[in-house]
Amino acid sequence: MHVAQLRLTDFRNYESETAELSPTVNLIIGANAQGKTNLLEAVHCLGGLGSPRAPDSALVRDGAERAVLHGRVVRDERRIRVDLELRPGRGARALLNGAPLPGTRSLGEVVVTVFFGPDDLLVVKGSPEGRRRFIDDLVVKLRPARYALRREWERVLKQRNALLKTARRAEARGVNETLEVWDDAFCRAGAALTAARLASLALLAPYVAKRYEAVAGGGRLELSYASEWLEPAPSDGALQRLGAIDEASIQGVLANRVRELRVREIERGMSLIGPQRDDLVVRLASGGGSGPLLDARVYASQGDQRTSALALKLAEHDLLTETLGMSPVLLLDDVFSELDGARRRWLADTVRDMGQTVFTSAEPGTLEGTDPDRIIAVRAGRLEAHG
Amino acid sequence: MYAGPIQDLIDELAQLPGIGPKSAQRVAFHLLKATPSDARRLAESIIEVKDKVRLCRRCFNVADRELCEYCRDARRDPTAICVVQEPPDIVAIERTREYRGLYHVLQGAISPIEGIGPAELRTAELLERLKTIPPSSPQDGQETNGLGSGSNDPDANVEEVIIATNPNIEGEATAMYLARLISPLGILVTRLASGLPVGGDLEYADEVTLGRAFEGRRRMSG
Repeated sequence: MHVAQLRLTDFRNYESETAELSPTVNLIIGANAQGKTNLLEAVHCLGGLGSPRAPDSALVRDGAERAVLHGRVVRDERRIRVDLELRPGRGARALLNGAPLPGTRSLGEVVVTVFFGPDDLLVVKGSPEGRRRFIDDLVVKLRPARYALRREWERVLKQRNALLKTARRAEARGVNETLEVWDDAFCRAGAALTAARLASLALLAPYVAKRYEAVAGGGRLELSYASEWLEPAPSDGALQRLGAIDEASIQGVLANRVRELRVREIERGMSLIGPQRDDLVVRLASGGGSGPLLDARVYASQGDQRTSALALKLAEHDLLTETLGMSPVLLLDDVFSELDGARRRWLADTVRDMGQTVFTSAEPGTLEGTDPDRIIAVRAGRLEAHG
Repeated sequence: MYAGPIQDLIDELAQLPGIGPKSAQRVAFHLLKATPSDARRLAESIIEVKDKVRLCRRCFNVADRELCEYCRDARRDPTAICVVQEPPDIVAIERTREYRGLYHVLQGAISPIEGIGPAELRTAELLERLKTIPPSSPQDGQETNGLGSGSNDPDANVEEVIIATNPNIEGEATAMYLARLISPLGILVTRLASGLPVGGDLEYADEVTLGRAFEGRRRMSG
């Protein structure tokens, strides 16, 4: 699948511009703050998941009422027209071949992208929240219909926390009866999300291991899921086994722990266990892979952390390619300049086999070996194509 | 900012649900252009609605007398009570002409974020209606066609409570709470089915909806 053409109207700093993209490797070049990332962001938005870095309201050009993206997408040799209109405060509308879709999320059935930017390079050493977002995004990309599941979970968690917060106050009558009701909803939605996370991670794990070995030129990477409440303890790298645990037993385990923690949760005024506190753990073995596996967040060098982050994202691309039967568009934002020479060359080489790639750079000097088929120069919100 | 009365009107209108500052301004200037009699009619209907409309003493639907039109209607089936969140839900259900029982309006749903718990809703009143001991006889005996007193009280023999709260998280939590509350009374509690919209496309159904539809599937043969 690839995006052949993208017309931007009042999107970020673009007033009205059209980008023609090659189905292979595309380079967006320009000085800082000219609109390179904004163009990548626009391609990402065509997938209906919003911007990877900002709310929709930030995507509309200053002074404009709405931002509009018209995409021409080629998928399985079919040409598909995708139109997306972002109206701050009034939501977004999406059209597929001119027909309105029930929601912008449905665009995920047509356009799938993998975005990799400087923030993602930090995902391994950053906060657990970033890693949870990575898993949950993957959960939805593998099956767009799961978006509702994620939304439901977030809402239940918010409601339950609000109730626990007031539970100690004297004026809160009937808290215990209602808490049981929210416990049920919490355990059901929490178990559904956890099961989806584990199943997705079990699918992802082998691809990450393979990509890490390739980019690091040896070594070993293992993914696991850290959770205080899930049994059996997932720290033994048994993701494959965990992926097979059914939702009902996860729900049972969570419900038991929630009951045990009742008094403490009321005391603290918040949910103390559940998917909202779980984490993705990346462990690395150095020395050609023979050494012990250590938590990359704590023990790995910055270079190794970046390499693992790169492996995670490329593996996401591999898994989606395999599962969806087509390559997602790979969007690399300013990644090359952050890598050392060897990894840069390896990445330049690798992306040639990964379907459509669009990457940005402010420094042409860091692009040896990338050999793009199309170069688009960006200057103050204007596009200029070369090649 | 505008001078005096017009700004006051804009500020008042902007308090209304679904009306932002821009709409409030548009409505205010529309009213300014309206004839005095049109403006007066609008003002009077606002005052009248506050004066004359109250909540039904039994079911908390909107009513122009002590009991609402459904609680007064002797032809309604008194063995079923349909529990809804708001009065407009009743209008929606009545449009189907499928349901002939009585109603109970909770006046909301459980939502801890908004500080709404069972005590803020008409749950205690619902429970009171379901208890076999009939509530005290109503004052407006003739309006209820003589059904409103003693052992003839329509709510004395409720056999089924149909919970029709919204199919969202707050509505589901409310339904679950009510089911727990009512079950010790030995009355059948049912919940409206949720699932695929008629005329919709299976392909576009979200996972939660589709999951519910599977849970609530019906036997067709065998």
